[in-house]
Amino acid sequence: MFPFRRFRVEDESMRPTLEPGDYVLVNRWAYRTRAPVPGDLVVVEDPEVPTRFLVKRVSETLGMREVRVTGDNEVASRDSRTFGPVARERIVGKVWLRLRR
Amino acid sequence: MSLLYSLARALDRISPAPIAYAHCDIPCGIYDPHHAQLAAHTVIRMIDLINQLEKPGPNATPEQRQEYTAKLARYVLVKEQHAEIAKNELRILWGDYFKPDHVKTFPELHDLVWKTLKSASKARQEINLPAAEDLLKGTNDIASIFWKTKGLETITTKAPYPTERQTVYPRMK
Repeated sequence: MFPFRRFRVEDESMRPTLEPGDYVLVNRWAYRTRAPVPGDLVVVEDPEVPTRFLVKRVSETLGMREVRVTGDNEVASRDSRTFGPVARERIVGKVWLRLRR
Repeated sequence: MSLLYSLARALDRISPAPIAYAHCDIPCGIYDPHHAQLAAHTVIRMIDLINQLEKPGPNATPEQRQEYTAKLARYVLVKEQHAEIAKNELRILWGDYFKPDHVKTFPELHDLVWKTLKSASKARQEINLPAAEDLLKGTNDIASIFWKTKGLETITTKAPYPTERQTVYPRMK
């Protein structure tokens, strides 16, 4: 399995870190050797719509199994404050590179 | 444009990148086609009132002419305002609420909104009942799509207004 996967960013909850239209390269192997820590930028499966991916920032780790995520643009973000913690298995990977126009 | 960005863009043509949503709910969330429907009814009502207004004959007094002109002006003003409200509300639904997934499910949406906006402009410019009825019909069709995207069935029934035209309402669970 190739470790990197690219995603295109939509919506505004990660502004100014990520703007709509940016691409992110995600390292799917990032958490094989270490656990996510607060501050990591991650792509996760949406707990409420499993076919959809979200890009958010880890705000808290809850033991080994779960993390809480929030948007950098907190006033305009749907995140763990709405849908609660996200299971580790739902983390696709860690954002490794941002590509901007 | 950075080289890597251009590369990612070029790759999209071969295999589109999945989307990672920096998802937000604050700027969105509260939408309802009812405002547009109300405005469409108001336009119809104003045209009815204009058409019912007795036109001053050749022997009308200046006072009668003045009264006619004042009433006509008021009806025309409200008609134009509400045609504009309908257009604005429809544009908000179209531009802000509806998402690409909705258009996939309802491919007729863009054309429907476009035609409804055209009818609204015509109903604003002219004293044109068929155009106002087209505005209401298009708005009802958009309302029907809107409620379906919310997972709600709709009912079509006569509105409890003097216009008495068919109107789409959500069947709340």
